[in-house]
Amino acid sequence: MIEKAKETILNYKGAPLRIMEVCGTHTHEIFRLGIRSLLPPQVNLISGPGCPVCVTAVDYIDKAIYLAKKGCCICTFGDLIRVPGSDTSLAGARAEGGEIKTVYAPSDAVKYAQENPDKQVVFLAVGFETTVPAVCLAVEEARRKNIENFSILAAHKTMPAAYQALKGSADVFIYPGHVNAITGNAVCQRLREEGVSGVVAGFTPQELLMAFSVILTLYPKGEPFFKNCYTSVVKEEGNIPAQKLINKVMEPCDSLWRGLGIIKNSGLKLREEYALYDAEKKYSVPDIKGTPNPACKCADILMGKCKPPQCPLFGKACTPLKPVGACMVSGEGACSAYYQYGEKI
Amino acid sequence: MCVGLSAKVVDIKEDTAIIDAEGVKKEVNTSLLDELEVGDYIMVHAGTAIAKIGTDTNVLEEVL
Repeated sequence: MIEKAKETILNYKGAPLRIMEVCGTHTHEIFRLGIRSLLPPQVNLISGPGCPVCVTAVDYIDKAIYLAKKGCCICTFGDLIRVPGSDTSLAGARAEGGEIKTVYAPSDAVKYAQENPDKQVVFLAVGFETTVPAVCLAVEEARRKNIENFSILAAHKTMPAAYQALKGSADVFIYPGHVNAITGNAVCQRLREEGVSGVVAGFTPQELLMAFSVILTLYPKGEPFFKNCYTSVVKEEGNIPAQKLINKVMEPCDSLWRGLGIIKNSGLKLREEYALYDAEKKYSVPDIKGTPNPACKCADILMGKCKPPQCPLFGKACTPLKPVGACMVSGEGACSAYYQYGEKI
Repeated sequence: MCVGLSAKVVDIKEDTAIIDAEGVKKEVNTSLLDELEVGDYIMVHAGTAIAKIGTDTNVLEEVL
């Protein structure tokens, strides 16, 4: 299969096309595995907004810093710590005495809250459909155990509305495999009916080669298509228990995406019956409006309007050691991938 | 943060399982999966198993 897929890619003689890999992990794996070097010159890869840290707005970081300064213990995934807010980052807040704790899973934050009843523990709940079930399970656990010093600052994003906003940014989309593992493929099938082509792909060399070879086979036929090239993990209907859990604990809301602005119904927030675990309500967090660095091109990069090396800060003022924008901070960010793997324009 | 971890199930206790990810053992929540057995491979995100791993279909063969 691999040889046939490789041959299909190398022999592509069709029209130019733009392929957007929506997921940040795809961006990195495609670079890391050298797949870009296999692609014919008329195939233009665009990195999309599927890195949860990258699309988290400056406002959110500022709110998390506000809570840290109010004395809350902030529990977070590690890559959010160095993302710049308007004035400082969570790392800066930590240097000023704030308690910022890295956790692997939301349930670790619940456990920490249970062990430290004198602390007000806030988990920074960012991420797509992949992460939401783990957060919902943590909230349910806190409720079941009556742990009242645990709450979440929610800024979850969901992909369906974002796909609508991205229409026209690419000719074919590589959909994020693990999002579809939760949601199923119905949204991609609907997009196909609307004329948007795409495949859902896995992350191994074999799975990525399969996805690209399928795209380059179907695109020249001129008909919109959708194919699941990650059947080992993605079932047509998705993970139904996870869908039910999300629907029980959370409800859709409008959400602010870095680069894409506010997208209607593209976020998730806790339902009213879980208000006790909503940090924004619990601590009356003000409506902080963040101010991103105006020279940073993260917004355009996330929309596929420019590539990281076209940003004036890239590799100069903005490096992984001293990041200005979120896309350079996160291990899944496009700027980080371009910097790490050395691709120029 | 949004990186999936594929791992083998080596022990199961109600809604949790011990997984082996390239030698590293870890407890994960498996309440969102049905009919899990020791020896299965699962995809884990943020400490929660989101899918069982099966086999890929040769989609290229289908479309050629």
